Amino acid sequence: MQSDVVIETRNLTKVYRDFWGRQKVRALKALDLEVRRGEVFGLLGPNGSGKTTTVKLLLGLLFPTSGQALVFGRDATDVTKNERIGYLPEESYLYRFLNAEETLDFYGRLFNMPRAVRRQRAFDLIELVGLGWARKRQLKEYSKGMVRRIGLAQALINDPELILLDEPTTGLDPIGTREMKDLILRLRDEGKTVLMCSHLLADVQDVCDRIAILYQGELKELGRVDNRLKMKEVTEVRATVLDQSAMDEVRRVVEKHNGEVLSMGNPTTTLEELFLKIIRQSEEHPGRRVRGVNIGDRGSGMGIRE
Amino acid sequence: MVLEHAETLPLEVWFPLALLKWLLVLGGVAIAGLMVGWLSVAMRRGPVAGIRIVGRLLAATVGDILHISPRRVWALSWLAVRESIRRRVVVVFAVFIVILLFAGWFLDPGSTHPARLYLSFVLTATSYLVLLLALFLSSVSLPADIKSKTLHTVVTKPVRPSEIVLGRICGFTAIGTLLLVTMAAISYVFVVRGLSHTHELTDDDLHAVQHHAQGQPAVREGLTSRVHRHRHLATIEPSGRGRIAMEQNHWHDLEIEKSDGKTTYKLSRPRGMLVARVPVYGTLRFKDRDGKDSKKGVNVGDEWTYRSYIEGGTLATAVWTFDGITKKRFPESLFPKGLPVEMTIEVFRTYKGDTDDPENIPGIPGSLSVRNPATGEMVEAVIFTAREFTTDVVYIPRRLQTPDGNVLDLFDDLVSDGKMEIWLRCVQPAQYFGAAQADVYLRARDASFTLNFIKGYFGIWLQMVLIIGIGVLFSTFLSGPVAIIATSGALVGGVFSGFMMRLARGEVIGGGPVEAFIRILLQQNLVSDMEPGMRTTVAQMLDVVLGYGLYVAASILPAFGEFSFADHVAYGFDISGAVILKNTCRAAAYLVPLFVAAYLFLKTREVAK
Repeated sequence: MQSDVVIETRNLTKVYRDFWGRQKVRALKALDLEVRRGEVFGLLGPNGSGKTTTVKLLLGLLFPTSGQALVFGRDATDVTKNERIGYLPEESYLYRFLNAEETLDFYGRLFNMPRAVRRQRAFDLIELVGLGWARKRQLKEYSKGMVRRIGLAQALINDPELILLDEPTTGLDPIGTREMKDLILRLRDEGKTVLMCSHLLADVQDVCDRIAILYQGELKELGRVDNRLKMKEVTEVRATVLDQSAMDEVRRVVEKHNGEVLSMGNPTTTLEELFLKIIRQSEEHPGRRVRGVNIGDRGSGMGIRE
Repeated sequence: MVLEHAETLPLEVWFPLALLKWLLVLGGVAIAGLMVGWLSVAMRRGPVAGIRIVGRLLAATVGDILHISPRRVWALSWLAVRESIRRRVVVVFAVFIVILLFAGWFLDPGSTHPARLYLSFVLTATSYLVLLLALFLSSVSLPADIKSKTLHTVVTKPVRPSEIVLGRICGFTAIGTLLLVTMAAISYVFVVRGLSHTHELTDDDLHAVQHHAQGQPAVREGLTSRVHRHRHLATIEPSGRGRIAMEQNHWHDLEIEKSDGKTTYKLSRPRGMLVARVPVYGTLRFKDRDGKDSKKGVNVGDEWTYRSYIEGGTLATAVWTFDGITKKRFPESLFPKGLPVEMTIEVFRTYKGDTDDPENIPGIPGSLSVRNPATGEMVEAVIFTAREFTTDVVYIPRRLQTPDGNVLDLFDDLVSDGKMEIWLRCVQPAQYFGAAQADVYLRARDASFTLNFIKGYFGIWLQMVLIIGIGVLFSTFLSGPVAIIATSGALVGGVFSGFMMRLARGEVIGGGPVEAFIRILLQQNLVSDMEPGMRTTVAQMLDVVLGYGLYVAASILPAFGEFSFADHVAYGFDISGAVILKNTCRAAAYLVPLFVAAYLFLKTREVAK
């Protein structure tokens, strides 16, 4: 029977030393962590908090100073574990003199995949990341977002069970960001485990089931995102647009139940939503200028303190 | 010319002992490495953890080496080739072509030994270019991958460090081989075309030199046209057959055609210029002026002590004992003139005659005798004249006459169990012949020059693979520029390993490095003793310490010079299969530990640090 725990760190510590063995920085301090099968786990923290160090320790790119990092129950330095892992580094470190097909074929070979499987998988992934039109172009001609996409494709070449994503949305435009987030959710729905580290909190909030917050190498917070973000002292009601008399009536009802209306009116949407809507409309009606887009016309919202 | 290589022993003679020695050395180094590894871990984590970690590393090493995937190695090799192409290796090829174009202007096909000049040049040029390319490619590739972090994406796949190292070595070897093969093909064409020439000969050039009876045709002689700064003497016999004399180490075949009462002479392309002689070497011993056995001959004060000298007009003799001399090896059909002996006898003159006309200084007469080592029967076979810097070819007749009129058969009477002795004496008193073991040999047959040329390039290939191995090793733990310097150091050290060894053993005149440096500073000569004192004592003590370091370095580094067959090809000697096999084994003996060491360095390195 397969264990439910995919990643486990026990007292994982990493100290960077200089040439003479003197301690330079303690990047990670006694991290205890478990990532379970089928969840999207987010590692959060400001720059230098130890997120990338943790990922590198899990991949065997760094060796722990003390403690242990286990992936699929094996030591992180065991290369055989990599057969079930996909890794998208912070920046897509790929060979820029290869084209998209050659890149995926090369990484497919590293997984010992037969030629036919490699070709089919490369074709599917290039289509998945939307680079079918640029499959023969060398990566040095790619934009940053395109390189990021092909980087993601190489991370998925082996149909991995565990995907480690280091700042997955860096360099992507809003559409790419949305597609990346959708893909992460789709991977989760397929039963795969995703560990992502990011300092873009909105991205983490959108896709992660559980998060760990690191600060200066120490674990500060660990738990489910929905639990951690729920504001228990506020009740939110969202309705389609109301006229002034209806809103006054709602206000009276709230006050009758000893509540306090914190705000009432038309809520604002996110810039991301606005942007995506404009792009969608532009694609539907090419050449026409998009006018009068108001995403906030869908209803009113209010926050009530109880 | 002589090659200073003694004949290589057959594989079955040297290989078992060499293998045992190799295994012992590797075993010793491995045990020492494990001890150092254990100590370094034990100091930080305790002795038990040390044993556990070193044991785990040992098990992983065995696993990583045994489970190498050919597909992954192929992928990584292909990547190395692509990367090399991106790094513009083709520039090296362009440089080679430019060098050849310039060489076409400067190489003189009219020199005394044009083939030697051309062959030395192309082999040396190719060797330098390919070795430099191998050095740069292998040293910078892995550090560049680590610096650009592209290696992160590779090592996070199920790729073993052993596969990364092997992929690099194979990839760079493949691109180097491709380049080397192309250069070899172009070089071959360059040499053959550069040396190819013919001469013109007409009836007007010929004149009668020997009159027969009236009405009979005469022997005619004449000089051909001048091409490549030489002319040949053509001799037309009364029978109508003609021959072209040897000049600049080659001759031409002569074809005479008569039509409409007109005779045309057609000379072929040069013959005997590009050869691969297969020599049979003997072992050399000496006899002094009184005819007694002696380890060495006379020292005439030559700094190069390679040759020993025998005094003319005395019983001093240089004796070569040959083995494996049979009728089957030298059949009469192929050797009708007898046993071909080629010799390069150094002449040391105590007087020179008319030195104003160097071309007419008389040669020094010498004699070659053949002796049966079992029966002691000896007969003088050849009287010859030795000149400096020339290779003489003489034939020992198959039947020889003794002074008392008996006729002896060379193989039946003067060879015993395949063994035969050739005694060399200098006839002229107060003159000396210098001889070394390889100076006199029997020319058993000629091998294919083209094949020998390919073998010469195989020697460069072996050196290239070694450099790639060393470069990849250094690149696993050093940064690119430092790896280049380290690999260059290994290359230079390897080339001069023989000198370093002599320096370490104190055999070099002028002392060790420190003493030599002081001599340079004080402008002292090399032979006089240093002034006794503290300075000299300290310098000599430092030299002893440095000597140990030099000894270790010279013992470890591959002697690149011994992998080079350029002299064999240039001087027209066949590179024997035994030599090829021995050097291939030696290269493999270096490559295996280089590969394992490179693997261990990469395995224990934090790639993302």
